[in-house]
Amino acid sequence: MQSLTPSSRGGWLRGYWLPALLLVFLILFPFIVGALTESSPFGVARGDRMVMRGESVRWQSVLIEVYILAILAMSYNLLFGFTGVISFGHALFFGTAGYVLGLLLEYTALETGVALALGVLAAIAVCGALGLLIGFVTLRLKGVYFAIFTLAVAEMFFIFFGRWQLTRAEDGFAITDLPVWLDPSQSRISFYYVALALAVLTFLFIRRLVNSPTGAVFKAIRENEDRAQSMGYNTLNYKLLSITIAGMLAGVAGILQVILNKKVGPELLGVSYTVDPLLMTIIGGIGTFSGPVIGASGLHFLDVFLRDAELVIAGITIDIANIWALLLGVIFILVVIVFPFGIIGTWQRRRATRKQRAVTTGHPPSA
Amino acid sequence: MAGRASLIAIALILAALFGVAFANSSSPGDFGITLLSGLFQGMLLFLVASGLSIVFGLMDVLNLAQGSYFMVGAYVAYDAQHAGGVIDLTSVLPDPNLRFIGAVLAAIAVGALLGYLLERGLLRPLYSRPIFQLVLTFGVSLVALELVKFIWTTTPYSWTELFGVRESFFELFGQRFSTYRLFVVGMGIALIVAIGLLLQRSRIGIIIRAGVEDREMVQALGINVRAVFTLVFTLGCAIAAFGGAVAAPFLGASTTLGNIFLLQAIAVVVLGGMGSYSGTAVGSVLVGLAIAVAQDTAIGTAFAALPSITPMLLLVLVLLVRPSGLFGKS
Amino acid sequence: MSSILEVRDIHTFIGQFHILEGVSVSVTTGGITVLLGRNGAGKTTTLRSIIGLTPPARGSIHFDGKPIQGRQSHNIAQLGIGYVPEHRAIFRSLSVRENLQLAERRSGDFARKADFIFDLFPDLKRLIELPGGNLSGGQQQMLAVARALVPENRLLLIDEPSEGLAPVIIEQLIAAIQRLSSQVSVLLVEQNFRVASKLAQSYVIIDEGHSVAAGAMADLVQDKALIQRYLGVA
Ligand SMILES: Nc1ncnc2c1ncn2[C@@H]1O[C@H](COP(=O)(O)OP(=O)(O)O)[C@@H](O)[C@H]1O
Ligand SMILES: [Mg+2]
Repeated sequence: MQSLTPSSRGGWLRGYWLPALLLVFLILFPFIVGALTESSPFGVARGDRMVMRGESVRWQSVLIEVYILAILAMSYNLLFGFTGVISFGHALFFGTAGYVLGLLLEYTALETGVALALGVLAAIAVCGALGLLIGFVTLRLKGVYFAIFTLAVAEMFFIFFGRWQLTRAEDGFAITDLPVWLDPSQSRISFYYVALALAVLTFLFIRRLVNSPTGAVFKAIRENEDRAQSMGYNTLNYKLLSITIAGMLAGVAGILQVILNKKVGPELLGVSYTVDPLLMTIIGGIGTFSGPVIGASGLHFLDVFLRDAELVIAGITIDIANIWALLLGVIFILVVIVFPFGIIGTWQRRRATRKQRAVTTGHPPSA
Repeated sequence: MAGRASLIAIALILAALFGVAFANSSSPGDFGITLLSGLFQGMLLFLVASGLSIVFGLMDVLNLAQGSYFMVGAYVAYDAQHAGGVIDLTSVLPDPNLRFIGAVLAAIAVGALLGYLLERGLLRPLYSRPIFQLVLTFGVSLVALELVKFIWTTTPYSWTELFGVRESFFELFGQRFSTYRLFVVGMGIALIVAIGLLLQRSRIGIIIRAGVEDREMVQALGINVRAVFTLVFTLGCAIAAFGGAVAAPFLGASTTLGNIFLLQAIAVVVLGGMGSYSGTAVGSVLVGLAIAVAQDTAIGTAFAALPSITPMLLLVLVLLVRPSGLFGKS
Repeated sequence: MSSILEVRDIHTFIGQFHILEGVSVSVTTGGITVLLGRNGAGKTTTLRSIIGLTPPARGSIHFDGKPIQGRQSHNIAQLGIGYVPEHRAIFRSLSVRENLQLAERRSGDFARKADFIFDLFPDLKRLIELPGGNLSGGQQQMLAVARALVPENRLLLIDEPSEGLAPVIIEQLIAAIQRLSSQVSVLLVEQNFRVASKLAQSYVIIDEGHSVAAGAMADLVQDKALIQRYLGVA
């Protein structure tokens, strides 16, 4: 049987030389930008402190944001793309992790290193538990219940944290206490490598998981849950596993975001952190390994480049920034209708059909 | 039909709500105000939830853009009622009461047109890929929100024009009640009955109920199910826009309306039992009352967020007892 | 003899699966043709392909000499084809009356045919206001057949009507279908060979998605080898 998205075979553009090259490029990136723009990848020294100024440091931030979004999108894709479970509240995990870490760092008397370690562990654990809990309540029912519940709980958390006086309601609170090596305003380059490492690890982990026997069951559930059930798998347990892992990975992304911005606020639970991974996954290619990464980097770079651009239509000047969300929404709808398998998915299908055509004649009508 | 457990659950929820409302109120008039406010919100919810529920039952599409139609209805009505803006009716219909009727009709027309376009243009190609339909309606809700911001900016409008229907009151138990709210409640009840009759008595109602059970078989009997889908979807969107229009004199028009009402309507539909019309009607009233009671309770306390999370709390409560909702089939 | 339905070499896919790989069936006007074959052979899929619920990817289907493949289900049905699906797919939440009214193609169809239908299935008259789900298996099957009789159909596609019914009820159904066949042509799927041989004048055997044999029922009854090979009954 040919699977819906022929992603598991083939993998990265034929062999491994391209990803290896890319990885080397990303590792050297701060220095390459530094050399090109004659700026230091470590920032500018002012007295005994480093100040994060210059092109290299600025571009490190942009890439860190890409890594964070990529982790979030990959986690979304594990759930939606590989297991077929759709969530409309991924921001729930992202933001909750941020709050848990922030609360431990800023609201306890623990020593910084201890608070950080505990905070990261607790944040990830809480996200996993949250996913498990929502899944447990809703997954026995039709698929839409999970989607609805994530939407509802995320919104509830958003409202709650937006009004909770302890965490300073809508304003949120700043993270002041971080070890130097992790603090993006003191040593951005080390945080850059932390984020890069986590993104790469997430990618490898998901690939490993999806290609394992467990992942085969995930995909079987996506294709036809009743069939997977009748093959003797307890599909509920597998879906719960997928949700728990996806929730924890989204939590990792949330932790990185909080460290990058050194701030915790209700916007972390806002709808945009649900929409972004959904959009990135769909545009990049749902149910493919590299799709979410391509979607995340593509959209984020477009956002960065177009943020200050202007569009002149019939003498009227429109700031792209004002219509960016509108443009995204329209692109999103077009992709869903015209390229439902996204950039990578469509490309892989083209290749697969070309191969198939070479082998056989007589095709099933496209599903 | 609902089993005995559901009826007991409904009775218990109502009793609890009435109990709290009674404890909160200092006079029968106070209590009456809470009741009317609850029914008013319940009817508004019904206007969004009914379309959501029937469309889901018949077409298996959960329209996450349903709240946007409510929001668009509110904006169109506001715009048509007040001077300036995109539609200016002040010269055509100088009488504000007549103009309000015009504004509501305009909102219904826009809702119906947008609903028709969404079903025919965007959902139709996706009936073989249901999960993408869900994703698509989510995308449409984002686009609708951005378009509204683009046309009307993000500043919320509050209804400024005072006119007869909106401002008249009647007195009971020494309290002033809004006639307009009572009127909306009455219209809501009339609509509940009318849609119920349509479903039970008319041929289109038989087709809809049959389609909820087995779409393929309806088609094999020679009925164009797709055309029925379009009709039902369009109607659902028009009713939501109507809801937004009649709510606008009280709630104004703002970009948050869509999400608020979508989430509350979803709570109603799930709580009532997905695809069950009676469940949606009962659920709307329960959730509306619960919100009103929560608003009364939350005033001046630290629980300012209580009313906004009440629908979800009630939903979780009901689902713990009956996982498929009050009127849902197991 | 002229044939009302000509199915020629159709291929049907369900998802990725190639279910029918060349099925040809011909139904003579005014006769009963039976589709035989083992479970999973593709009989139901053949009927569903004709009515357009699983449209064939290749091959042709002619009804009354006009090609109908590729049209939408409701258009095909409106030409005068009634479908009685397997497992008695009546609408359980609709009353018997509503089930019958739903099948109208012009208003008044049901009123015009009521006498004929109640004459054929007297039970239904008594049950008219009950929800379909409350009926017994045999009554549901009668309702499913009756539903196909409401509009002016010239061809009925009936899928395993006797499945899971008591012998007495089966006899009643046989009698009813025999009476019907004076007015409409029938393409019948029937696993019960005794029932099939009683009703049909001609047969088509389907095996693993291919039509493998066809002819007069009278000849098949004699051909024990053929029966044994494809149907596994002696
Ligand atoms: N929805 C489906 N998906 C996959 N295979 C199917 C589906 N429906 C039917 N089939 C397969 O098609 C074959 C023919 O089925 P069917 O036409 O129902 O057989 P019959 O009616 O002769 O028993 C069977 O092998 C069955 O497993
Ligand atoms: Mg069959």
